[in-house]
Amino acid sequence: MDIIVILLIICGLIFFTGGTVGLLRFPDFYSRLHPAGKLDTMGSLFIMIGLALFNLHHFSMGNLLTSLKLILIVVFVFMASPTAIHAIVDAGVRAGLRPWKKGDKRR
Amino acid sequence: MKIIGLIIAVLTGILLIYATVDFPPWADPGSPASTYLSPHYIEKTMEETSVPNIVTAVLADYRGFDTMFETTVIFAAGVACFFILRTFKRKEPEEIFYRHTLTGMTIRVKNSGKVRQDLDEFERIDAMWTPHYLIVKTVARLLVPFIQLFGLYVIAHGHHSPGGGFQGGVILGASIILLAISHDMRTALGRMREKTTALLCTTGVLIYAGAGALCLLLGLNFLDYGALASILYTDPVTARSHGILIVEIGVGLAVMSAMIWIYSNVSSGGKYDEGL
Repeated sequence: MDIIVILLIICGLIFFTGGTVGLLRFPDFYSRLHPAGKLDTMGSLFIMIGLALFNLHHFSMGNLLTSLKLILIVVFVFMASPTAIHAIVDAGVRAGLRPWKKGDKRR
Repeated sequence: MKIIGLIIAVLTGILLIYATVDFPPWADPGSPASTYLSPHYIEKTMEETSVPNIVTAVLADYRGFDTMFETTVIFAAGVACFFILRTFKRKEPEEIFYRHTLTGMTIRVKNSGKVRQDLDEFERIDAMWTPHYLIVKTVARLLVPFIQLFGLYVIAHGHHSPGGGFQGGVILGASIILLAISHDMRTALGRMREKTTALLCTTGVLIYAGAGALCLLLGLNFLDYGALASILYTDPVTARSHGILIVEIGVGLAVMSAMIWIYSNVSSGGKYDEGL
């Protein structure tokens, strides 16, 4: 049980690290938002599932309720985070920001 | 006039800074607050008010007078935004834009004509370029009920967990503001009219002050909820817990509608048109 939890949390941390590195290293606005939207959502999924499993160590109805609440957080993050990123990207397109092409300078 | 205001502000600031010299030093274990006030709260809150969350008990019961005026300050902020920004003289624009929601085309109607009101396919917009976000609108509509449910939970659960009227009120207000941002302000105003907002804001403050005045009428001090025991048919300790809940509901109403009021006045510049 503990091994699964540790594996899940490490998986989530890898996703978070990738998201952070991408946020820092990618060349422009749109490509920077890509890791911010995707990898953070995935990382929070793994970490929340790991925490929910860890919480079920001593099984009881109260613990099950807490775990369900943790899973509920994932559901709402999955709905809200990509939508927010979508809205930000759309605002960028409407404001006329041109996407980065190969050979351009980093912005 | 500006100079007088500046002088008054500076003098008040100097006075306040001068007064801080008399405070006990930072984290002084011998200060009056640490020697008998905090231990009293920590030890006696459960048996005096039967509220497990000490913060809520201190906020709404022991120091209820302070919290009442905090609510009044928020109410005053909403009223100030209304009086400063709201413009009642409506100037109808010469051209009105409508969006045909099925095809996404924009129609321009000139010379103050209008599209017939009974046509559902046309949606009034304020500028030619107003975008139509299907994804954002759908997700916002999906999330708003859950946000409101969570806001009610935070208000009602303030006795047992972090939360209470202020936080829950802000969450409830944010749900309507999310609707106004993702759709437009007309939709949000269709859900909650300006009059409703103003009435709820005043009602919230009235519930708080009224709960206090009721205690006064029943023979105890202002905001001493133990007096409500005879109305609620409980013992005074449980009545204090219930009194806190009543007050939290008032705070929640006032904060929620003040947030919506401030947002709709500021974001539309008092014109109450499409908003952001």
